[in-house]
Amino acid sequence: MLLLPRPLLLGFLVLFACQLFYHHTSRTQMALNYQALDKPLSAPVYRGIAMGSEQLLGYLLAIRLQLHDNQAGQHFRYSLIDYAVLVDWLDLISAVGPLSEYPTLLASRIYGQTSDPDRLRLILDFVERRFDENPQLHWRRLAEASLLAKHKLHDLERALQMAEKIARQPASVKMPQWARDFQFLLLAELNEFESAIAIIQALLQSNAVNDPDEKRFLEEKLSDFQQKLLDNQQPSIN
Amino acid sequence: MHSQTISLFRFLMLGILSKRLLVLVTIMVLGAVLSGSFINELAIINGDAIQTAFVADFLRYSLALLTLLMITTSVAEDYEFRQFERLLTMPLARWQYIAAQTLVIASLCLLLTLPAALLVSLYANVALGLYWATALWLELFLLGVLGLLAILSLEKIPQAVMFSLAIYLLAKLSGLISLMLTESVKLSEGSVSSRVIEFIFGAILYVIPGSETFAENDVFFASHDLIVMLGSQLASVSIYALFLLMVCLIDFYRKEFNL
Repeated sequence: MLLLPRPLLLGFLVLFACQLFYHHTSRTQMALNYQALDKPLSAPVYRGIAMGSEQLLGYLLAIRLQLHDNQAGQHFRYSLIDYAVLVDWLDLISAVGPLSEYPTLLASRIYGQTSDPDRLRLILDFVERRFDENPQLHWRRLAEASLLAKHKLHDLERALQMAEKIARQPASVKMPQWARDFQFLLLAELNEFESAIAIIQALLQSNAVNDPDEKRFLEEKLSDFQQKLLDNQQPSIN
Repeated sequence: MHSQTISLFRFLMLGILSKRLLVLVTIMVLGAVLSGSFINELAIINGDAIQTAFVADFLRYSLALLTLLMITTSVAEDYEFRQFERLLTMPLARWQYIAAQTLVIASLCLLLTLPAALLVSLYANVALGLYWATALWLELFLLGVLGLLAILSLEKIPQAVMFSLAIYLLAKLSGLISLMLTESVKLSEGSVSSRVIEFIFGAILYVIPGSETFAENDVFFASHDLIVMLGSQLASVSIYALFLLMVCLIDFYRKEFNL
């Protein structure tokens, strides 16, 4: 093995330590430079400020919130954001512009990407609240939230509860059948094949599904789940 | 008599058009288009609707300021160059000056709303473009008449502009002010002074334009009955503008000029 000259090795180590120290200091400095979100005022105040352009102000506030992680040319990590205040802002924007899908989109697509389960729960609660207020406008976001609960939070019960909410909506709420199918797919994941089969059978018998592709998909899933249920029961019989 | 009014209107209108109106409007339209495009780039969804609404509101407020400045400058110059004294030596009634100024305001507002109509039609659709242009014309016309009253009474441009803007913003922010006063009554546990102020503001609201007097920006995000909205705005603006013109006439007839 070739022996390195000691001064060279020492120089490398010193510079490496300098680099680590510099990086650590700049990260700490960056966190110190971060301007936290201020608590929003009440919705009637913003409605008054809007001077008749409430929807536009709602959108502009949403864009401002979306850009909050970019300050003075620096991009800040979402972990620095206080999610309780963030949800207050999202609630406020929804109150100022109730016809806007923007805050729920920000919640499910951007702020829902956090890996912190507590923060994610706050976001999911927000999306669920918004869905309860206007299912027609927010069913896509609740479907996304259900996926987040399943894949990021690993909380199948929560995901199922959200999927059930979507499936329970009356026919007057227009949404594609796949959104309503979420429920039995999640039930299958929970090994609740009997419930999933019951739901699919009810769907097929009620003639609620007219699309032949959708019908074929349901029938395939039905036979698939029946097979899996049989396979599950087999070892217990043996 | 009508031909005299029309001649006076032409003379006053030429004075306004010579004030680099086209350059100013071009700058405003450019500002609206650039900032609107920037906002469209930032928006994740509904970018086009947000851009249209933003451009419409940007033009609304910038054109409102421009209208006020144009009208007040025009009348202030008449004061400065003793135009009134000269006009009143001619066989011309005072009401004809007010009528000519009203025609000037109407024509100026029409000129100013054209770029707004064009832009909104391009960004959204022709129906919304026509709605916005008509609603904006009504709003600017009302503000122009308010500016005319202010400059006739106060005779100085800064005071007249400030007064007109104050009334305009008071009308626009009346909801917020009412909310603040209601909260102040609650916080002061119903003190007499707070109640009196709230009552006075309630009374003031009767003599300033209501929210239905202004163009409705929410039309860019949800479908509304545009005809009904315009009808309501037209009724409100007609009553208020006629009331303001009446006050203008009373004030102008009371004025004394050194003939």
